Amino acid sequence: MRQEQSEHLAASIVEFSRFLRSNGVSADTSQSMTALEAAKTIDIDNTQTFSFALQSTLCSSKEEWELFPELFDRFWRESQSRPRSASGEHMGSSRSNTQERDDGSAVFLDQPGEQALAQDGNGKAVYGASAQQRLKKVDFSEVPCNDLALLEELSLRLLRRMSVRRSRRLTMNTLAERVDLRRSIRRSITQGGEPIDLAYKGRKLRKNKLVIFLDISGSMNFYSMFLVRFAYALQARFERVHTFLFSTSVVEISDLLRTRNLPDALRRLSQRAAGWSSGTKIGESLLEFNQLYGRKLLSRDTVFIILSDGWDTGEPEVLAAQMRATRRRVQRVLWLNPLLGLKGYQPITRGMAAALPHVDVFAPAHNLESLLALERYL
Amino acid sequence: MPASAAQPGDEAVKDPDALLRSFERLGYIADRSLATAVYLSTRLHKPLLIEGHAGLGKTEVAKTLAAVLGTQLIRLQCYEGLDVSSSVYEWNYQKQLLAIRIQEGTQQTVEEKERHIFSREFLLERPLLKSILAQDASPVLLIDEIDRADEAFEAFLLELLSDFQISVPEMGTIHARHIPYVILTSNRTRELSDALKRRCLYHWIDYPSFEREMNIVRARMPGIEEELGSQVVRYVQAVRRLDLAKPPGVAETLDCAQAVVSLGSQRLNAEVIEATVGCLAKSMEDGAKLKEAGIDLLLPQIS
Repeated sequence: MRQEQSEHLAASIVEFSRFLRSNGVSADTSQSMTALEAAKTIDIDNTQTFSFALQSTLCSSKEEWELFPELFDRFWRESQSRPRSASGEHMGSSRSNTQERDDGSAVFLDQPGEQALAQDGNGKAVYGASAQQRLKKVDFSEVPCNDLALLEELSLRLLRRMSVRRSRRLTMNTLAERVDLRRSIRRSITQGGEPIDLAYKGRKLRKNKLVIFLDISGSMNFYSMFLVRFAYALQARFERVHTFLFSTSVVEISDLLRTRNLPDALRRLSQRAAGWSSGTKIGESLLEFNQLYGRKLLSRDTVFIILSDGWDTGEPEVLAAQMRATRRRVQRVLWLNPLLGLKGYQPITRGMAAALPHVDVFAPAHNLESLLALERYL
Repeated sequence: MPASAAQPGDEAVKDPDALLRSFERLGYIADRSLATAVYLSTRLHKPLLIEGHAGLGKTEVAKTLAAVLGTQLIRLQCYEGLDVSSSVYEWNYQKQLLAIRIQEGTQQTVEEKERHIFSREFLLERPLLKSILAQDASPVLLIDEIDRADEAFEAFLLELLSDFQISVPEMGTIHARHIPYVILTSNRTRELSDALKRRCLYHWIDYPSFEREMNIVRARMPGIEEELGSQVVRYVQAVRRLDLAKPPGVAETLDCAQAVVSLGSQRLNAEVIEATVGCLAKSMEDGAKLKEAGIDLLLPQIS
C-alpha cells in the first residue's frame, strides 16, 4: 500500500516538473530526481514544507523562485484531482505546432503570410545558386514568404561563422606578467633543482562584454525576427552576452537564448515578453534597464548595442539623458538602425536625433550583409 | 563513497522545525523556507546555493550551520582570478628547494628524494583540499560570493562537487572521508552556469517581513527597547522602498539600531536619523537621495 502511495507521489512530482518546464522553469530530470529524494525525507502532509522543499530543489534562479508559489498553487490545489491532464494538454499543444519555424516567426510577424503576400510585388522568390548572394542583400522586410526558411538558415550559418572567426583572433593574446613558481620548479627538477628555465604566467585578455538592447515594437516587426537571431548567434559564441528586449518596458532574454533549440527558445520568448509589438518608449526602457541592470552589466569593457529604428513615442529628453548616462559607463555604444538601409533616410525622427550625439557607431542593420559587416566594430 | 557516521548535531537538524529552533538558539532567525532548504541540503548532502542582496545573512547561514552541527567551518572567499593554487593546494616551493639542498649529500635514490619533496609535509592545503581532508566529521564548506570567481573556476568546482575528490598529480587522487556540507552564496553580479545551478539546491533570500526583522533585532540586540526597535525596523523598511542603488540589508538595520542606542536616544527623531544616515546609505548618491526623500516624510511612517 505504502509502495503504491510513494509511486503515486513520484508520478505526481514528475508531472509537476513537466508542468513547471512548460511554464518556463528549468526543472530538469536531475532536479526532479532530487525533488523525489527530498520528498522522502520530509513530512509531505505539511503542504508548506512540501512546497518549500520542491521550491529549493526545482528552482535555480530568482525569477524561477518567484514564479514558483503561484505555479505550485495552480498545480497542486486547483488540479489536485487531475495533475495529469495539466501537462497532457501541454504535450498536445506543443505537438500540434510541428511547424516550428512558422511558430517562431509568428512571434514577430503578426501575420507572416498576409504581410508577405502584400510584399510579393517587390520581392521575387529566389532560387538557385545565386540565391545566397542575393539573399544576403535583400532587405529583411522584403523577403518573400517562401524564402524565409532559406534566409533563416543562411543567417544562422553565416552569423555563426562570423563569431568563430572572432574568437580565434583573440586566443593568441596572452601577456607574461609574473613568474609561475609552480611550473618553474617543475622544470628545475631536470636540472637538479636549479631554476634555469623560468615559466611565466599572465592574465588572459578578457573579451569584451556585449549588451544587446533590441527593439521589438510594432515598427520593427519585420526586422526583430532576424535581429534576435543575430543576438543568438553572438550569444552562442561569446562568453558574456546579455540580451534584452524592449518596447515600452524591458525584459531580459539571455537565459532563453542560451539554448541549442532556437525555435523552442523563440516560442518561450513570446511567453516572456510583455507589450510585444506595441508602442516604443526607448528612453523610458533605457531608464528601466539602467536602474535594474546597469550597475551589474555596464562597465568599461562593455560594448552596448541598440537595435532600433528610433521611432520613439517617449520624451526625447529622457532618451538623451539615458543615452548619456549609458555611454559614460561603457566602452562603446553602437546603434544599428534597419532604416539606414533605405535610400534617402535621414535620422531626423525626434528620438533618433536626440540619441545620435551619444552614439559611437551608427550603422545599418537591414540585411544579412550589413549584420556581417558589424564584425569589425565588436 | 565514504560513509559518514552519526554526528553529534544530528538531533538538531532532524527536521525543518528542529533546525529552525537550533538556528534560533544561536541567534539566527530563519524563515521556514530557508530552514527547509538547509535541512534538505544536510539530509541529501547536496550543495545549497543561496542568492540574495548583500547584508541579508547569506554567509551567516553557513556559520550558524557549522555551529549547530558542531563542526568545522571552512571558508573560501571567491574573487576574480581565483585559481587552483589559492583554492585547492600549492606546493611549498621554498621548503622543497631547501629539502633538495639538504638531501644533496645523502645516499637516497632519486625516487626517494622525489617522493620526499612531494609528500604531505610540503603540501599547503587551501580551503577546498582542507574540506576534503577533514578527519573527524563532515565540515561545512562555505564558498562565498561564487559569482565573483570566473567561469573556469566554476567548472572546476562543478567537478569537485560531484565527486568530492581532488587529484594532485604528484600524489594521486584524494577522496573525501566525510562529504562536506557545501553552502554557496552569490550576489548575482553575474549569472552562474546552468550546470552548477542544477547541481545545487536553491534558495532566494529576500528582505525579511516586519515581524521577522523585529525578531532578528530582538535576538541580536537583547537590550534594545521594544518601541525603539520597532521604530528602527519600520524606518529601515521605509528606506528600502526608496529605490536606493544599494538598499539597506538586515546588517544595516542592526548597525542603525546599534548607532541609535549608542547615541543614547530613546526614540527615533529627525536629529537621530540625520546623524545615522551613514548607517543605511552607503554612497554619496544614496545619502543625498535619502535626505532628499525627506526625513520628515519618513517619520510619519515610523510612528
